Amino acid sequence: MELTEQKTDQCIIIGIVGRLDTTNYTVLEKKLMDLAENHHDKILVECSKMDYISSSGLRILLMALKKITLLKGKFALCCLQENIQEIFEISGFTSIFEIYSSREEALKVF
Amino acid sequence: MVQYIHYTDPTSPEMVRVLEEIPRCPGVCFFMDINRSTDIKYQGGLKDWGRKLNNTFNNLLYANHFQQHVVKGIGDEMMLFIPEDALKKKFSNNTCFALLEDIYSALYLIKNHPDQDLYLNCKVAIHYCTEVYNITFFEGADDYYGSDVDLTARLMARSAENRIVLSETFYLKVANDLVNLGLPPDAGCLKRISDRLMENFKGVPVSTAYRVIEVQ
Repeated sequence: MELTEQKTDQCIIIGIVGRLDTTNYTVLEKKLMDLAENHHDKILVECSKMDYISSSGLRILLMALKKITLLKGKFALCCLQENIQEIFEISGFTSIFEIYSSREEALKVF
Repeated sequence: MVQYIHYTDPTSPEMVRVLEEIPRCPGVCFFMDINRSTDIKYQGGLKDWGRKLNNTFNNLLYANHFQQHVVKGIGDEMMLFIPEDALKKKFSNNTCFALLEDIYSALYLIKNHPDQDLYLNCKVAIHYCTEVYNITFFEGADDYYGSDVDLTARLMARSAENRIVLSETFYLKVANDLVNLGLPPDAGCLKRISDRLMENFKGVPVSTAYRVIEVQ
């Protein structure tokens, strides 16, 4: 898995490329927690190139959501592939995360 | 591959010969049990009980592709078995450490989901089995028998809501994975692992060492 980072006027966009699982979730965990601790509380996670996620990856996203919510910031996801969307639905994540179909649509709410 | 055992002659020498030649099938056995589901069945009725069981089973199984490893379910408890060679071939969670991490995460997601009316908290017991055989006495079924499967079931007696009980045998496999992966001994959910505990389980002739992890 690789992470990309882009700063915009509205938020920081973190892109996940590849598989997010037990072998690499700590990389995403460190990135998101470092951002939160440095007062970056507007984060969009772009998932168009994420092709697999396990429970460990979901856990880090939930931890990040809780952290950013405590900071009264905004944490959203966009561009989920169909198989990832299914996992999010089964895990009850679609009701607790703000999920947008495109980056442009997501950026409007920041 | 599962060996179907069915002989109409109770004294069949062939049956004895076949049983003697069945190879062991080492792998990871784990039981997942949903807490308080019987209470909910009586209090909320089938629609409430069934809905939460559906949601909880889905959450436990699908994100980690465990569904193909369910051997059997009895009410709100599931037995899963992943043979060692199948574990190594898995797309993800293909080590004992990864498996433990994903099980921990599945329980974490249920415990920490903001809508507590959707899921039920769970408890888990895990053991790495060597004394285990892939046999069934029922045509078309798949099953695993052996003293190590029995031990996994016994470990459930020390589990509780949001707790994972792991045998020392499984823990040593996890520790070995950490060395191979270049990770510290307290990586991931192992930060929360207990010291080694001992128990004399009913029907098990020797004391069993185990550890527990409380899901935060």
